[in-house]
Amino acid sequence: MTKFTLNGQPVEVDNPPEELLLLVIRDGVGLKGTKYGCGAAMCGACTVHVNGEASFACQLTVGDVEGATVTTIEGLSSDGTHPLQKAWIDEQVPQCGYCQSGQIMRAAALLSEISNPSRAEIVDYMSANLCRCGTYNRIFKAVERAAREV
Amino acid sequence: MAHRSTHATLCRRGFLKASAGLSFVVGAGGLLSVDAQAAGSEMLKVNPWMTIRADGKISIIFPSTEMGQSSYSTLPQILAEELDADWGDVVIEQLNEDDRTFGNPAFGGVLYTAGSTGVEGYFDPMRKAGAQARDVLLQIAAREIGVDKKTLMTAPSAVVTQDGTRISYGDLAAAGAEGIQIPGADDVPLKPVDAFRIIGHDIPRRDVPAKSTGKAVYAIDVTLPDMAYACIQRAPVEGERPVAVQDDEARAMPGVLDIVALPDAVAVVAETYWSALLARGTLDITWSETSPFRAHGSEATMALYAAEAESPSETPAVWAKKGDASAAISGADTRLTQTYLSDYAYHAQIEPMAAVAHVDADGKGAEVWAGTQTQSWTTNTVMDVLETTRDRVRLNMMTMGGGFGRRTAFVQDYVRDALLCSKSVGRPVKVIWTREDDVKNGVFRPLAVQRMSGGVSTDGMLQGFHHRVATPTVIGFFNPGRWNAVKPNDVISMRGAESKFYSIPDFLADHVITERQARLSPYRGIGAAYTGFAAEAFMDELAEAAGRDPLDFRLDLVEDNLRGRHLLGKVAEMSDWRNRGDRAMGLAFAGYHSSMAAGVVEIALDRNSGEISLKHIWVAADAGLIVSPDNAHNQIEGAAVFGISCALTERIDIEAGEVVQNNYWDYEITRAHQVPPIDVYMAQVNAHPTGVGELGLPFVPPAIANAFHALTGKRLRHMPFTPDRVLEVLNS
Ligand code: FES
Ligand code: FES
Repeated sequence: MTKFTLNGQPVEVDNPPEELLLLVIRDGVGLKGTKYGCGAAMCGACTVHVNGEASFACQLTVGDVEGATVTTIEGLSSDGTHPLQKAWIDEQVPQCGYCQSGQIMRAAALLSEISNPSRAEIVDYMSANLCRCGTYNRIFKAVERAAREV
Repeated sequence: MAHRSTHATLCRRGFLKASAGLSFVVGAGGLLSVDAQAAGSEMLKVNPWMTIRADGKISIIFPSTEMGQSSYSTLPQILAEELDADWGDVVIEQLNEDDRTFGNPAFGGVLYTAGSTGVEGYFDPMRKAGAQARDVLLQIAAREIGVDKKTLMTAPSAVVTQDGTRISYGDLAAAGAEGIQIPGADDVPLKPVDAFRIIGHDIPRRDVPAKSTGKAVYAIDVTLPDMAYACIQRAPVEGERPVAVQDDEARAMPGVLDIVALPDAVAVVAETYWSALLARGTLDITWSETSPFRAHGSEATMALYAAEAESPSETPAVWAKKGDASAAISGADTRLTQTYLSDYAYHAQIEPMAAVAHVDADGKGAEVWAGTQTQSWTTNTVMDVLETTRDRVRLNMMTMGGGFGRRTAFVQDYVRDALLCSKSVGRPVKVIWTREDDVKNGVFRPLAVQRMSGGVSTDGMLQGFHHRVATPTVIGFFNPGRWNAVKPNDVISMRGAESKFYSIPDFLADHVITERQARLSPYRGIGAAYTGFAAEAFMDELAEAAGRDPLDFRLDLVEDNLRGRHLLGKVAEMSDWRNRGDRAMGLAFAGYHSSMAAGVVEIALDRNSGEISLKHIWVAADAGLIVSPDNAHNQIEGAAVFGISCALTERIDIEAGEVVQNNYWDYEITRAHQVPPIDVYMAQVNAHPTGVGELGLPFVPPAIANAFHALTGKRLRHMPFTPDRVLEVLNS
């Protein structure tokens, strides 16, 4: 049994502790907003917050988060109105959308670290996440917009 | 007010409840029939492509599939515009079957989403269908009110009488279509461009909210009751098959349901993907060793294609021809020949291949959830694998985590795998390829060798241009039936080599169809991703030989192409080309099919590491009339970003038939910090739309190569321009 807090709710899972957190979140708990892209810390599609820090869920086992607080895209806001999500819609960022949960979660971690980041800080921070559709410039604009509105 | 009283009158007259709505059957040639749907009864037709319900909701079928290009929003907008619908009333319905009634006109009626053809192909039929439906609504209103149809107009989702009374489309639909004549597709007037309220306006994409909240559902996310998971170990080399499988350990592992032998792979089916992955690691598979592909490596392939480009063993297939290129070149004052190389490239879409299948108990039918670029070929795959008939195939076309050509094949192996696994365990099964599976079993943009020849006169004019491409046929591999119909013309291998935006009196592009030595596929930009590189980098070499500015040399060639000329002028102005001084800037004029893009890039070079970085991209584009301007910008920017890594890093190597690369660490695609500011200008033209999905890519590699020359005086002729290659060129 592993106990942790997921999106504000206490959860207990009986998956083997060495099972990937990403698979437990997606298939065990059933929250599909967190994506699999590479399993290798290279794409960021699986980005979640563990104790507030942006983390690759494909690089953690569920045992690693025993007692921790985990937030996924579903827990970022109750109704999809987090300033970043609104900014994502206002800037019409997503194309295929597959990377965007991870992008938004990484951006949220950035804004909680630096509330008013410079463009260079945004670019640097967001470089952990890939977007094959090439929406990066819109991501930068959306982060700046959200930072203005927080 | 007028609206309310009319509504009351209509109700009193008692026809409001006559039917629950209208369904319009629309074909590629326009509206075929219109049916009133009696309240509470079944639809009269099986194919209601567009439905107006009594509550005012307008359902429009989306005939393509969505992979990020946004045709899920833009195609229905075309119909909604001519229908004069309120976009807020429109509900979009994904077409989930291979119903050729609404096939893609650009692909002979096959349901196929590729090549930036969605808007181009469906623009006319969807406009006409919308206009016909609007005419039917006007007729119903005229019948009900007892006035001449000519006195009526429409406003969003309503017919308006001369005294300003509005009757909603929902009420008219409820009134039924009795006695109505469906006008011919060509007999209804279409709106003039300046009357558009939807086309050309920035209407937000429908799929963006779900994609900003983690709610969009991709094939990899589909979950069914009692679903099992499968992990597939595929043959290391094309053409091999498993001959012996040691699976005792795997079978004994917790959660493992079955080990399934597939024609070219072994699947582990388990209760969870984690169990399947772990069990796969314990399999000991002996593969056959008879495949001729074991003899192939990309270096030898490059050498073979280079030899073929130089002296083809068979007569090359003519792709485009005007005048006599070889005579013009041999008569020129200065003659130039250069060879351009490009490696295999991989799609790298972030969602790897995944599919869910639930095969019926009798094994002769299935429901399938997959993200593919074609309802038609996915249906074919299911029919082939289960040896069944069309009526037993139930598809769910899922939004895709990127396509770029990866999901176009005639036979979709990931769908096949899910079907065979489900059939074997008698439960629904989800197949997921790991990223490594997706790379190792990728289908690639072909390796190509291009031999370019041209001449210039002493007065600095181009005199003959010959573009020879030595590469296999891509269509011949991913859709052999299609190849039989079109050979020797392979648009996937050759697009872009026609240099159609220039007037070159003596021109030849030909295709040396080489032996295929790897699995191939369309890739973003298809042939133009490499033919554009060779054509436009070589154009700069010719300009240099002519002693001309690269812009002036090109302007001579677009005297008959005023729209192209405008783009070159525009991008020169945006980038301040004429005053570039010693900034490392390069120009290219390329495009895709009939869409054109003139681009300028400014680069920086680290001479120690050989790394090129982008400082700025300017692009002026013309794709005819633009349905969704904001999305068009997003597509062009995205393709330019794709073009950066296509030019700089994307490279697949093959050794002894096996793919060398594994994951994003050794197949690098553009990251955030590598993206420069991108300024996009879209020409405003009233011409048939020609597509924006791939337009932003082809100019990027040659513009970078040309900028490199401006900075160093050296030419990059082997794409990608990896640091080791850059250093080699610098030191040459
Ligand atoms: S899936 Fe975790 S970083 Fe790619
Ligand atoms: S929107 Fe497609 S990968 Fe980012």
